[in-house]
Amino acid sequence: MTEQLSALADNEIELADAEHLLASMQANSPAAEAWSRYHLIGDVMRGTPTLSADFKANLMAKIDMEPTVLAPNAAWLKSAAKADGNTSKSGGQQIAWSMAASFAAILVVGFMVLQAQVADPSLNANVATAEAGVQTSAEFIPAEYLTAHQSSAPSSTSYYIQPASYPN
Amino acid sequence: MLFKRLLSFVALLMLSISGHAGSTDQWQTLQKMAVAAHVLNYQGIFVCQTGAQSKSVEIKHIYNGHDEFARNVVLDGSPREVLNQSGDVVIYNPKNEKIVIEKRRGQNMFPAILPTDLDSIKDNYTLKVGEIERVADRQAQILLLESKDNLRYSYKFWVDSEYSLLLKSVMLNNRNEALDSMAFTQLTLIKSMELDWFKPKIDGKKAYVMEDVNTIADKQDSSHWRLKSLPEGFVKVDQMMRAVKGKTWPVTHIIFSDGLASVSLFIEPLENGIKPRTGRSLVGNTSFYANVAGNLQITVVGEVPEVTVAKIANAVVFVK
Repeated sequence: MTEQLSALADNEIELADAEHLLASMQANSPAAEAWSRYHLIGDVMRGTPTLSADFKANLMAKIDMEPTVLAPNAAWLKSAAKADGNTSKSGGQQIAWSMAASFAAILVVGFMVLQAQVADPSLNANVATAEAGVQTSAEFIPAEYLTAHQSSAPSSTSYYIQPASYPN
Repeated sequence: MLFKRLLSFVALLMLSISGHAGSTDQWQTLQKMAVAAHVLNYQGIFVCQTGAQSKSVEIKHIYNGHDEFARNVVLDGSPREVLNQSGDVVIYNPKNEKIVIEKRRGQNMFPAILPTDLDSIKDNYTLKVGEIERVADRQAQILLLESKDNLRYSYKFWVDSEYSLLLKSVMLNNRNEALDSMAFTQLTLIKSMELDWFKPKIDGKKAYVMEDVNTIADKQDSSHWRLKSLPEGFVKVDQMMRAVKGKTWPVTHIIFSDGLASVSLFIEPLENGIKPRTGRSLVGNTSFYANVAGNLQITVVGEVPEVTVAKIANAVVFVK
């Protein structure tokens, strides 16, 4: 979990590729959950690394566990070190580093949420300018929709004849 | 199960009324045609045509009293094979150096293009009897299945006068122009019940891979939209979430059918920075319509007239 967020914070994951992280944290509608479920299924099928199934729950739990102070609390660190009798200096550093990483991650996530909110008014702008959107020409059907239609609702000819734009 | 019971019932019906074709109601002829494609044993070659494209397809079909087995091999261009076992369809689709295995729900597969339950067809079409013509060296009765409205296409069927098998089917628009056609050029009935042919031709040099599964069943209605009245005769038959190439978000995919034609409705949130798509088009037998409802992109595709895809797109109401 923290590795994922650290990677995000370290820019090892492109922001554009991490929109689902943001989405799963922002929304809890069935569609959003279905989307993460789909991602998981798809990623498992393709054998690519995945986020854990309860990514969102884990994330929320970890965030809840984080102290609400805005800087590492020396007293808290000391008491944590005391609680673990054998904690060496490097152990304390590890805690500090993991906290730093978490804060960095929260900052980035917060920034992304902010970005999304800032970008929100443009949603309405999209609606207003719908007329100025992509116009489909009279002789063209976007292949992604045609293929999706034919795979779930094949017509009698589509079993044998694919559109010219059918991806090969 | 229901399908099989219906088949055997109608097969009995067929036996009891065979030989009286001249006196029977034309809907009974159509009913016999709908069943004959499932219960007869036959092989032949038919030509499938839509737009400027045309392919010959070799078909072999056997019904053993319990299950149907059909293999369709495309003879022109890429050697695609379509195997159908009682409605479970597996397609072996050569793509470059691979053979992609695709699973489909078998429906409207020639010559079984009609459902065996004609109730919804009777609601939306009128049936007229035409002349007798010769197709694939067989005598055929012409039947005209005409749409009662402008929401669906009409069909012209050539039905084997002796065996009731559909020999040729043409889909027509309201200007009587052919949009697509399927027609036997060779046909023989067979007696052998051997099934050793029911397998794909394996190409040892190619890798066989399963098609990526990019849908999940999701019948839940969203709180962000609802559907107003649909065009007459169309009912929802399926709903899923689907990953569409180039889309960040999953797309809700709903399928409607009037018993013969299917229409897909896609609903997805508008994406920041991506221009919404609007417009309409008609390519061959397929209509396309895209518009925007609230902050949703609505896209509709189907083998129906343009007015029908537009009506389905406009049935989506955005709920804030």
